[in-house]
This record gives sequence, C-alpha cells and structure tokens, in this order.
Amino acid sequence: MTDIATRATRVVESSVGRHRRSNGGGPRAGTVAAFLTPFFLPFVLFYLVPVGYALWQSFRVVRRTGGQYGTSYTTFGGFEQYVEVLQNSEFWASIGRIGLFGIVQVPVMLFVALIMALLLDTPLLRLKSFFRITAFMPYAVPGVIAAIMWSYLYSPQLSPVVDLLKGIGLEPDFLGPGAVLWSAANVSTWLWTGYNMLIMYSALQSIPQELYEAARIDGASNWTIAWWIKVPIIAPSIVLTTVFSIIGTLQLYAEPAVLRQISSNISSTFTPNMLAYAVASGNNYQQAAAISVIIAVITFVLSFGFMRLTSKKAGL
Amino acid sequence: MSSTVTRTRLAIVAAAAGIAILAGCSSPAPAGKASAASCEPAKGKVTLQYWNTVPGMDKVVDLWNKKNPNIQVETKNISNDQYGIIGNALKAGKAPDLAQVGYDQLPNLRTQDAFVDASGCSAATATKSKFVPWTWSQTSFGDTGVFALPQDTGPMALYVRSDIFKKYGVAIPKTWDEYAAAAKKLHKADSDLTITYFDPNNAEWFNGLLWQNNAEMYSYSDDKWHVTVESDQSKQVTEYWQKLISDKLVRTDLAHGSTQMYAAYQKNQIASYVGAAWGYSMFRDNLPRQAGKWTIVPMPTWGANGASGNWGGSTVAFMRGSKHLYESVKFNTWLNTDPEALALENELGGLYPAANAGLQLPALSKGVPYYNNEKIFDVFAASSKKVDTRFAWGPTQKTVNLALQDAMAKAAAGDGTLTDALAAAQTAALKSMKDQAIPAAAGK
Repeated sequence: MTDIATRATRVVESSVGRHRRSNGGGPRAGTVAAFLTPFFLPFVLFYLVPVGYALWQSFRVVRRTGGQYGTSYTTFGGFEQYVEVLQNSEFWASIGRIGLFGIVQVPVMLFVALIMALLLDTPLLRLKSFFRITAFMPYAVPGVIAAIMWSYLYSPQLSPVVDLLKGIGLEPDFLGPGAVLWSAANVSTWLWTGYNMLIMYSALQSIPQELYEAARIDGASNWTIAWWIKVPIIAPSIVLTTVFSIIGTLQLYAEPAVLRQISSNISSTFTPNMLAYAVASGNNYQQAAAISVIIAVITFVLSFGFMRLTSKKAGL
Repeated sequence: MSSTVTRTRLAIVAAAAGIAILAGCSSPAPAGKASAASCEPAKGKVTLQYWNTVPGMDKVVDLWNKKNPNIQVETKNISNDQYGIIGNALKAGKAPDLAQVGYDQLPNLRTQDAFVDASGCSAATATKSKFVPWTWSQTSFGDTGVFALPQDTGPMALYVRSDIFKKYGVAIPKTWDEYAAAAKKLHKADSDLTITYFDPNNAEWFNGLLWQNNAEMYSYSDDKWHVTVESDQSKQVTEYWQKLISDKLVRTDLAHGSTQMYAAYQKNQIASYVGAAWGYSMFRDNLPRQAGKWTIVPMPTWGANGASGNWGGSTVAFMRGSKHLYESVKFNTWLNTDPEALALENELGGLYPAANAGLQLPALSKGVPYYNNEKIFDVFAASSKKVDTRFAWGPTQKTVNLALQDAMAKAAAGDGTLTDALAAAQTAALKSMKDQAIPAAAGK
C-alpha cells in the first residue's frame, strides 16, 4: 500500500514538475484555483463555516434583561454548556445505548458482510451478479424509507411476521423496552451489510490469481485460502468499513427516529443526535452545539484510535 | 511550490469569509421593551404576509383579496416545519406580518420576542368579546396586550362505540370513576377489548386532561414564573391513569393517529376515544365502515367539577417587524370572526372556530351522517364553554412536553409511575427556563 502510494505521489510530482517547466507558474496557479474553487467554496460555506459556528455557539450562554419577556442575548459562557452536557444523565444514557448498539451491531454486520464477500469470491457460487446486486440493493433504499418499511414488519397490529410467529406460539414484541434497540440495529444491519460487503468484495477482486495458484500447489484448501490469504490481504478494507460503521453508529438518528413514531420505548433522547435535536427544538441551540461538538470529538477519537490500534496489523 | 501558495491563499480567503459570517452572527440584536405598537393606517396599497398550516387557507384569503383591493394578503403553507420556519425567519429578521401559532407555543415564542402588541389598535382590543373566554385569556396573556387573535380550538369530548357498550350492557360513563368501572367491565367481557388507549408520547393530549382538572402548570407574578406542573390536581390525573395502566385496562402500545391505532379501532379492540372537536373527521375518514356506530358525549368529569378540557387549536399572531399593524388587525379580525370566513375555514380546513359567532355556523348546527345524524357540535360547543380560563402555558413548553413524554413512556413500560413523570416534567421546566435565563421558581 505504502509503496503504491509513494510511487503515485512520485508520478504526480514528476508530471507536475514537467508541466511547470513548460508553462511557468502564473497561469498554472490560476488553473488550479479554477479547478479547486467548485470544491472549496461549498466546502468552506457548508462545512467549515457551520462547524466553526457550532464551535462558537457551544461557548455561548443565553442571558436576559428586563424579566420574563425582556430581551435575550447571548454572551461568552466558557465551558458552561459542556459542563451541563457532561452532567446530564440523559446524555450518558444515550452514549451507553449506542455504545451497546455499536459493540454488537458493527461486528455482526461486518462479519456477515465478510462471509458474503468471501462466498461471492469463491468459484463455487453461481449467479454471482444476481447475489451481488441483491445483497447491495438495501443500500439503495433511503434509511428513513427502510425504517418505515421495517416498522410495519415490527408492528403487532399490521405485521405478517408477528402473525406468523404468533401462529407457532411465540409472543414477539419487537417494539418492547428491551427489544427496540435491537430492532433498530436490525434495520441498520439490513441497510449497510451489502454496502460493506461490496467494499470487501472489490478488495478481494484485486488479489492476483497467482497467489491462489501458489497456495493450491502448496496444498491449501478453499477454507485455508479464505482465512489465511484473502482475509489478511483485505484487512485494510475491513478496517475502513469498521471506521465507517463506528462513525455511522455515533450519528444514529433516522432508524430510531422513525421507530419512535410507533414505539414509545424510544425516548426523545435515545441517541446523542436525537438528544441534540430535542435540545435544539427547545431553543437551546448553544447546548445542542456543545452536544454536537462532543459527539464529533468522540467520533474522531474512536475512529482514529481504532485506525492506530489496527494500523500495524492491517498494514495501513 | 506555487500550489502550496495557492492553497494557503485559498485557506486565508476561506477563513476570512468564515470570520465575516461569524462576525455577522455574533452581534446580539437588542430590541426595545415590548409595548403597544403604534397603529397608523398606511397610505395606498399594502401587501401582508400570512403563514399558516391550514389546508385551503389560500381560498379563504382569495375571498378577502377580492373584497379588499388595498390590503392584499399572500399566504404561505408552512405545515412541514411550522415552528422551525417561524424561528428561522425571526432570527433572519424576515418574519411575516401574521403567523399561525398554537396556544401552547405562544409564551415560548414571546420569550423570543416574536410578537408585536396590537393593543394600540382599538379594533384589536374590541374583538375580546367575540371569542371564547379562555382563548382570549391566552392570546392576551391575561389581558396584558393583544399578541394574537384566536383562530380555532379543540374542546374535548368522549367518542363512544355505542354498539360495543350496548353489547356488554355497560352504561356510557359520565364521570371518570364510572369510566374506570366501565373499563373493568368491558375488559372482563372481552380480554382483547380495552376502553381506550393511553399514548405516553402525546403530551399535548395529556395536557388537555390536566387542564380539565384545573391543574394550572404555570402562573406569573413578582417578575417570575411559578412552576406547578406537579400539583395535587395533576397528581389526581396521573394516579387515575396509572391505575388503569397497571391494571392493564388501557393499552399503551398505540401512537395517536398512527396506522396501528386505526387498525386497533378497526378490529373492534377499543371502545372509546377521549378526543377533541377536530377528531370527528379522523374517524369519519379513516374508519368508514364504523359509520353509525359512534356517538359523542361530554368528557367524563371529576366528580362535582363539571369542567372540560381542550386539546390543540391555534391563533394567528401579530409578528414583530410587521410594518402594517393596522391592516394586519383588520385582516386578522375578518379571518377569525367573519361568519363567511369561518364557514370556509371549517369546510376546507376542518377548523373548529374560537369565535362565538363560529359556534353558530350552519355547518356546525347540522347533524353529522357518520355519527347517526347526531348534532355532535352541540357537545363540543358546550365543552368549549366549560374550559378553565386561568390555564396558562409555560415559556419552554416543548421541552417540558418532551420530558413528560419520555417519563410517561418509561412508566408505561413499567419503569416508574405517571406521577414520577410529573416530577420529571417539573424538573425539566425549571431547568429549561434557567437555560433560557427566564426567572422561575417551583411552587405557587
């Protein structure tokens, strides 16, 4: 990986060098700016500025002059909002909930994705493109739509699944206080397994066939090849999908928010993002900003922490 | 390398742009203390902006525009995110002249300095007698100004599946005690049947029940709010429903207005509905096969106290920044008191009027076919007159509602009780008011 990257950089640099010699500096800088502006302008306006605004907001507090209906204004409040968030038991409960969600859902989903990718990669499987498309299909469904669809399958009044299970003597309560988190996890897994599978599958496609031939000559079985050759080589993709999944988990909103419409066991503060939304809807934008900043920091620490932890093993 | 230079330059430009935008946002806008605004008619033609969520309101406004060439009104439907859109417009200084605001959101928006006091217009103060008393009390904040005119209300009543009650020989309850006894009988007769459902995620509905029992949650005196969400009256209501929930006499797994709720009614699993006037069309349109099986009677009462409750309804508020207060008052008065306008709003938007004149509309004096041709609106009109006028909403009602819902949902799932939920709501009220720097204290 590193080798390829270094080589690529060198190629780019040398071509840039050549270009510079033939054309000179001035016009080239203008060209670069022209090509970069369409990216940088929205990036600054719709990414950096809102992030900066949230950061700035998170250090403000509301004050008021002239009694209940007097004039309100904001002023610098130091870490007041952060202290309030960190002392809020609802905040920690939401973090605990998605922590549990992530510890279970992410490994299950990635394990299933890996098995599916390996199965697609074996020469034994027929109708490959059909299975590939079918597994990837849920990703094309928007999260909210997926959650609405599943909410009909969970709902005891409407679901054929619940009726079937009742028919064999079970009393499932997919929306009950203990189960609803896993019902939401199931929607996420359904949505994202195919996507993760595809990333792993494309990494598998780039493995040179010679490696397999050599392994077979050495007497390796399909299973040995999968476990000892394929999985280690695509480890960087597995790390990548894990990081994406960690970020996705921390930002969990759509699935529980939709299920909340039919289950009162999802509170308005179920996930950190839902808490931030609930706080903002009560006009406390400053505290909502502080929650957002804290979620961003946790996401940053977890993703980069995980990458660091696995970088040596995965060869990143 | 020059690309580095360019990148740096871009970064500087970006940073500068960012700072400029931040600086633009950073200056708080100090406004003068709210007092009655002046009320001068404009010279020449005026165009007003009116934002609302009522279906068919554009047709009502067309009627006005035809009759008033010099005061033209433009409407905008903001039903996809009513308070989000109003809040953003206020921040941007682009609020309309008039906007639809729910009664329970009036104090919240007023703390954001959203309204202008129209009491400087004699035409505005003169409308007081035209509205049902409790509505005026809320839009005038206890006669301290005129910040909005009442538009519609949701007086509550009891919707009853008379066929089910008859089948099991249960009399239609007049008090909450009788209602609980009926709940027991019905559930005993058929274990799949409950008298009603309790949606823990519907604070607006539950507030209507608290309101009925004179459970004043907020009052204002000595320059501060007095928070009494947790009171003897509110506890009486929570304990009553907690008992029904604990005894499994009401189910708690249905969300109001959800497909699941209608499915349960369709399957004859629920025998009644504690609802508001605007709910009559919900049943008519979603459960057509149950036509003739429903009747509407007064809400069960708390012993000798014959008070009724209200759930929902809206006002049309005078928004800060309006340059045409005189014309806004004129249009707002017509919109909410003129019989022709009220009839159209009722027909197209299903509004149940807040104006006394509206209660006598021909459409509201007729029998309704779905309800056995009963004059159901007579029940709602009587209910409307029995709604406690002292009841007031808090300035952070949305946050309090969410806290109440979350804790009621826990109680429904067996974690704590509904009375604990009142305590949670009380705490949330005080904390959210502190966060907004609104002076508040617990107790009367």
